[in-house]
Amino acid sequence: MRLILFTAALFAAPAFAQSAPLRVDINAGLMQPMPIAVPAFAPGNGASTEAGTTTQIGERAAQVIANDLKSSGLFRPLDPAAYTTTVGIDDVLKPDFPAWRTIAAQALVTGTVTSNPDGGITLACYAYDVFAGAEIARQGFVTTAAGWRRAAHKCADLVYSRLTGESGYFDSRIVYVSETGTRTKRIKRLAIMDQDGAGHRFLTSGQNLVLTPRFAPGQQTITYMSFENNRPRVWIYTLGSGRQEAVGQFSAMTFAPRFSPDGQNLVFSMAVGGNTDIYRFNLATRSTTRLTSGPGIDTSPSYSPDGTKIVFESDRGGSQQLYVMNADGSGQSRISFGEGRSASPVWSPRGDYIAFTRMGGGRFGVGVMRPDGSGERLLTNGFQDESPAWSPNGRVILFARGDRSGRSGLWSVDISGLNERRIATPLDASDPAWSPLLP
Amino acid sequence: MTRAERLSIAGAATAHLVLLAALSLAWQNSQKMLAAPTDAVPVEIVDISDAPRTPEPPKPSMEAAPQETAAAAPEAETAPEPEPVKADAVPPPEPTKPTPPKPKAATPTKAPPSPLDTSTLSSLIDKALPKATKKPLDTSKLAKELNASAPARATVDPRAAATLAQAIRAQVAPCWNPPTGGRDVRRMTVIVTVNYSRDGRVIGMPQAGTPTGMTAANADYARAFAETARRAVLRCQPLRLPAELYDLWGSVEINFDPEEMT
Repeated sequence: MRLILFTAALFAAPAFAQSAPLRVDINAGLMQPMPIAVPAFAPGNGASTEAGTTTQIGERAAQVIANDLKSSGLFRPLDPAAYTTTVGIDDVLKPDFPAWRTIAAQALVTGTVTSNPDGGITLACYAYDVFAGAEIARQGFVTTAAGWRRAAHKCADLVYSRLTGESGYFDSRIVYVSETGTRTKRIKRLAIMDQDGAGHRFLTSGQNLVLTPRFAPGQQTITYMSFENNRPRVWIYTLGSGRQEAVGQFSAMTFAPRFSPDGQNLVFSMAVGGNTDIYRFNLATRSTTRLTSGPGIDTSPSYSPDGTKIVFESDRGGSQQLYVMNADGSGQSRISFGEGRSASPVWSPRGDYIAFTRMGGGRFGVGVMRPDGSGERLLTNGFQDESPAWSPNGRVILFARGDRSGRSGLWSVDISGLNERRIATPLDASDPAWSPLLP
Repeated sequence: MTRAERLSIAGAATAHLVLLAALSLAWQNSQKMLAAPTDAVPVEIVDISDAPRTPEPPKPSMEAAPQETAAAAPEAETAPEPEPVKADAVPPPEPTKPTPPKPKAATPTKAPPSPLDTSTLSSLIDKALPKATKKPLDTSKLAKELNASAPARATVDPRAAATLAQAIRAQVAPCWNPPTGGRDVRRMTVIVTVNYSRDGRVIGMPQAGTPTGMTAANADYARAFAETARRAVLRCQPLRLPAELYDLWGSVEINFDPEEMT
């Protein structure tokens, strides 16, 4: 008997060991845009609004959402021809998952548009994981009828952030310098548009040359440089009121402004007596602090998102290179050492990278490096790719691309160097800046 | 008030308006404004359970549905759907049931394990890969051997398990689309536990564990990351694997690690 037990134990031991499930390691997948279905949003009621009927708004909202998701390069909205049936309210709340699976949709965005008694609308946005057969997000957006686009962008942001785990960037705007005219008589105007190119309008008349517009963090204020009265100075533009105001009473030329992350300070360059240094201007106290000194041109300052450091470009070492210093100007050290010159650094809103322009060998490229200068990668390569600007989530870089004929336009590229695409503008365009997400 | 008086008052009012307009225009010019500046249209974010705020009599489903699902936790997949499950839908979750029906299990006391020819086994799996629907070779003898020697699964050569793992990897990896470009993507891995039925279909909802490298700061990313792994398992099914070896692959732990991706 003892022997039998002993034998059984011998057999049992490995049997237990084997009861662990088979282990499989998968170390690579495919990088493909996720197929996603965005059928027209269903009318919650049949009413008409100043922006059209709820049915019409529902159709257009779905198009805006699909376009947003597609532009990220991470999603592939399915051709609506693949699902000809109209999605009604019942389908919004109880999608027919097997049917969506048959057209290989991995995610589904549906919703309703309902007109409210005050003339506004409620856009209800639902996202589903088709293969899990589960709702993964829902949110309502109440706005004016004219605000349906913003509600659609917010829905796209909800879907994007839920499926990627990163914050969205679709409900945001782009300010840039619109250019027209010959090279010698170039007219430059500030212009603003939604991130997807809608709602384009000019902010300045073009009477004065303008450069380097930059959004204030968290608010809808822009700082820029203008040659008003042939005097190049830093200005501030308030989008709500359209008010413009020169910054400080400096006799010297000020340029390359940028806000601090808390919006309390501006940093910019000031050229005094043939020497250009970086200064900080406190918007409340109007006091000015000099942050760099010494010969050479120090310019293009940009704060780290936590406000403790500033990256800037300087030719103090003989050619333009990138330097990082503490926010009080101490501890300046060079971080770029690659071939050619490096300029116009911008710190990513998520803090992990600094975007910059690399010049050398007759080519321009936009690249990124870590704040300590490591991990440098060039993302683009063009005749004149310059002026990088980050999307609010630090995932996409907007830049200006010029060609040999002197034309220029706005382009965007993913931080991985993929998904390079042109942003349509009515005229030539340069110097883009991306707003924070709208509140 | 005479008609003339009324007229003159109206005239004066109009003149004032014109003057005011001219002055504001001049002021506007001094501000160099082109278009009337508009602030972004406000958008209020609401819980959808409150929606729709319709003035009309509530449409049946829109009103009812949020309540139906309002109780659903964020992890909606855990909320059992009362609707009958359609034929090709994922069956209701039975995650705790391992339940691969045992092959006519011989009792452990019977027959000492006969040595398996694992080379046969490997070639069998490999051949099974490309043409899944076809039965690979004649596996009955092998299966018998396995069955007869049970705790035979205990003694299956690790190489056989490795080959089987490779077969699963080859079939699931093409469906995995990890979120790229994320800050933490290359630091994160996740294990998904899957139960397969004999025909290679996923039983219930695969369970994704807590991703490694997950922190409070990247919890949203970790959730999305884990879901891409689960989606890969759900999309790439049924698996085409030798039924004879079902005991080995009825329950599988798949470790998703994007280390080889850029």
